[in-house]
Amino acid sequence: MIKLLAKLLRVLNSETEPGQISLGFCFALIAGLTPLLSLHNFVVLLLVCFLRVNFAAFLMGLGLFTGIAYLLDPLFHHLGLAVLTAPALEGIWTSLYQSVWWRLEYFNNSIVMGSLVFSVALFVPVLFLSNLLIRRYRQHILAWVQKTKIMQMFKASKLYETYQTLSAWRNG
Amino acid sequence: MGKWIRWWGLGAFVVVAAILGCVWIFFVDGWVRSLIEEAGTEAVGAKVELDAADLSLFPAGLTLARVQVTDPKKPMTNAVEIAQVSMGLDGLNLLRRKIIVEEMVLSGVQVGTPRVTSGATREVSPQEEESDMFSIDLPSLEVPDVKHILEQEDLETVRLIEALKADLKREKDVWKSRLKELPGKAQLAEYKKRVKQLKKAKKGGLKGILGGVGEVQALKQDIEQELQSLKGAKKEFEEKIVLLRTRLEQVKTAPKRDIQHLKAKYNLSPQGLANMSQTLLGGEIGSWVRQGAMWYERAKPFLEGAHALRGGEAGPEVQTPLRGKGMNVHFNEAHPLPDFLIRKTTVSVNLDLGDLAGTVHNITSDQPTLGLPITFTFSGDQLKKVKSVALEGALNHVVPTDSKDHLTVQARGYELGNIVLSKDAKWPVALTSGLGDVNMKAEIRGEVLAATGGATLTNLNLVAGKEGDTNVLTKSLSSAVTDISRLSLQADVKGTLDQQDVSLSSDLDRILQNAAGKMVRELATKFGTELQSAISAKIAEPMQELKKNFSGFDSIAGDFTERVTQHNGILKNLLEKKLPTKKLKGLKGLEKLSDGLKLPF
Repeated sequence: MIKLLAKLLRVLNSETEPGQISLGFCFALIAGLTPLLSLHNFVVLLLVCFLRVNFAAFLMGLGLFTGIAYLLDPLFHHLGLAVLTAPALEGIWTSLYQSVWWRLEYFNNSIVMGSLVFSVALFVPVLFLSNLLIRRYRQHILAWVQKTKIMQMFKASKLYETYQTLSAWRNG
Repeated sequence: MGKWIRWWGLGAFVVVAAILGCVWIFFVDGWVRSLIEEAGTEAVGAKVELDAADLSLFPAGLTLARVQVTDPKKPMTNAVEIAQVSMGLDGLNLLRRKIIVEEMVLSGVQVGTPRVTSGATREVSPQEEESDMFSIDLPSLEVPDVKHILEQEDLETVRLIEALKADLKREKDVWKSRLKELPGKAQLAEYKKRVKQLKKAKKGGLKGILGGVGEVQALKQDIEQELQSLKGAKKEFEEKIVLLRTRLEQVKTAPKRDIQHLKAKYNLSPQGLANMSQTLLGGEIGSWVRQGAMWYERAKPFLEGAHALRGGEAGPEVQTPLRGKGMNVHFNEAHPLPDFLIRKTTVSVNLDLGDLAGTVHNITSDQPTLGLPITFTFSGDQLKKVKSVALEGALNHVVPTDSKDHLTVQARGYELGNIVLSKDAKWPVALTSGLGDVNMKAEIRGEVLAATGGATLTNLNLVAGKEGDTNVLTKSLSSAVTDISRLSLQADVKGTLDQQDVSLSSDLDRILQNAAGKMVRELATKFGTELQSAISAKIAEPMQELKKNFSGFDSIAGDFTERVTQHNGILKNLLEKKLPTKKLKGLKGLEKLSDGLKLPF
C-alpha cells in the first residue's frame, strides 16, 4: 500500500507528460469497469502497450475501477438492458449479432454493454479532467505541499525514504 | 509521433497474448473435461466421468475417451459406457458460442458395465423388488370347510337380518305410540255425544236450530281434521311397511351374494386362469416400460431445453439474469442455428446379443430453431442371439406444445433362454429355450403413452411345477405348459409417462383354461351348493323371526283401517241430518228463508 502510494506520488511528481498519465487512467477506466476477459479489453491492452501511456497509472486505475465496477453492476445491467432493448437501436444490434467478432465480444450481455457504454462515455471527460487536475497539481499544489509541515514530516518518514529509494533505482 | 508510440510495447503485447494462449491450450482439455462431467452429472443425477478430453483447434474437434454414465438407480453400474467419442466442430460457430458438430462417432458403446467406485451423487433409495417377490394367484383345489368358514366369516345375510330385526322392533314401538296419540275410541264417543246434542237442539225452536247450524259446522270440521291426520299417518305407515318389505327382499337375495364373495375369497373361481399371461409376463414388460419412461423423462428437459428460455417470435429475447452476470439479449439471426447441434452421430453399440450399429440425426435441445426432429435408426444382422434387429424412431419437439415421439422395434429369430417366468413356490415356471419374432410400436404424444407389441414364440421348451407335486391343479397346469411349443403374445401399454397400464393376452390363457378351467368350475359349483345349504340352515330361524315380526304390523294396520272407517261413518251420519222446516213457517220474516235454507255443507 505504501509502495503504491509512493508510486502514485512519484508519477505525479515526475516529468511524465500529464496526457500519458491521464490516458493510462482512462484506459484503466474501460478495462476496470467492463468485464476483464472481454474482447475489447485485448484492444485496450494492445493500446496500453503500444501507446506511450503510463503503466503505473493504468495498473492503479485498473485496481480502483475493478472495485468500483462490482458496486456499479446493477447500474450497468439496467443501462445495458435499456440500450439493448431500445427499439431505435434494434436494427444495429441485429446486424452486429450476425457478426462472429461482435458475438465474441459478447455485446448482447447487459453488463458488458452497460459498462462499456458507461466507460466510453466517461473516457473523454475523465481524460480532460485528470489532465487538468495533474497540471493544476503540479503548478499550484506541488510547491506549496513541499513547504507544508505535513510534507516536511512526510519527507522525514519511511514512506518518503521508500520513494527516494525508488527514485534512486530509476536514476541509477 | 515517437513521443506517443512505444514499439517495444507491441512486442510485449504479443508476448503476453502468447503466454495467455499457451495457458489456455495447456489447461483447456481439463476445463472441457470438468465442464462435460459437471453438466452430465447434473443432467443424469449420477456421476458422468471421462478419462480424457482432447480439444484440437486446427481443425476444430473434440475427442473424449472412456465416457462413463452411471445408472442413477444402480451406482455401481454404468448405464452407458462409451470407449471413444470423437467429433468435428464448426470453428466459426464456436466463436459465436454455438456448438455445432457436423459428425460425431461413438465407438464401443456398452450398457450395464460394472463400476470400480460408486457413481452416486446422492443417497439412492432402496429399490422396490419388482418381479422377484410376486406369487401367482392360482385357483385353490382344496375345498374349504364350510362350517368353519361360516363361523369365521361376517356374512352379509346375517348382518342384514340383525339390522332389519332391530328396525322392525323400533318401528313397531314407534307406531304403537303414534296410535295412542291419534284419535281413537274416546274421540269417537265424544263425537257421538255431540251429534246427540244436535238432535236435541233441532227440537228447541228457531233459536235452537240457528245455534245448531254453527255447532254442526264445527263438528264437521273437527271430524274432517282428525280424519285427515288419521289418513296421513296411515299413508306414512304403509310407506314404511313397503320399505321394510324391500329390505326383507334384500335379505332373501343376500345368501347368493355371500356365496359369490366366499367363492372368490377362497379362490374357487376360474377367473385366475383367464389371464395367466398377464401374471407371468406382465411384471417383466411393465418393468421395461417403466424403465423406458424413466429415461425418456430424463431426456425430456434436454429436448425442450431451449423452448423453456424462448419468448415470442417478434423482438429481442431476454434470458433469465444471473447475479453479477447480467442478461443475454438475443436477436434474430439471418441463418438461425441452435446453440448445440450434432447433425449426425454414428454409434456402434456392443450388447450381449451382439453389435448394433446406427445413426442419430439432429441431436439438439432447440428443435424449434432447427425445424427438424431427432431421428435415429439402429440395426444388426447375424448377431449372437438374434437373426436381425431393427430399431427406428423420432423425437419430434419441433412444436413443443405438440410433441410427437415414436419408436418401432423389430426383431427376428431372437433366442430365448433361461427366463424365469414364475418364482412362485407353488408353481414355478421357466422358459429354457425358444425363438421369438417381435414387433413393437410405441408413441408418446405430449404426456400420453400408447404402445402395442406382438410376439410369436416358436420352438419353445418350458418347464413348470416342482417334483413330487401332489396338487391336481398345478400338476394339470404344468402338463399343459410343458406341452406348449408355440405361443403368440399381444401386449398393449396405455397411460401416461407416470402411470402405465400394461395388458397382455396370449394363447397361454386359453391353453390353461382348457387344462384346468373345468376342474375349477366343478369344484366351485360343489362349494357353492354346500355354502348355500349351510347358509340357508344358519338363517332359517332368524328369517322365521323376521316374518313373525312383520305379522305384528298387521294389527296396527287393522287399527288404522278401523279408525278411519269409524270416522268416515260418523261424518256420513252427520251429513245425512237435515234441519226441520215446519217451525220456520210460523215465524214472520223467516218464511222466505225457510224455503231455501239448508245447512251450509
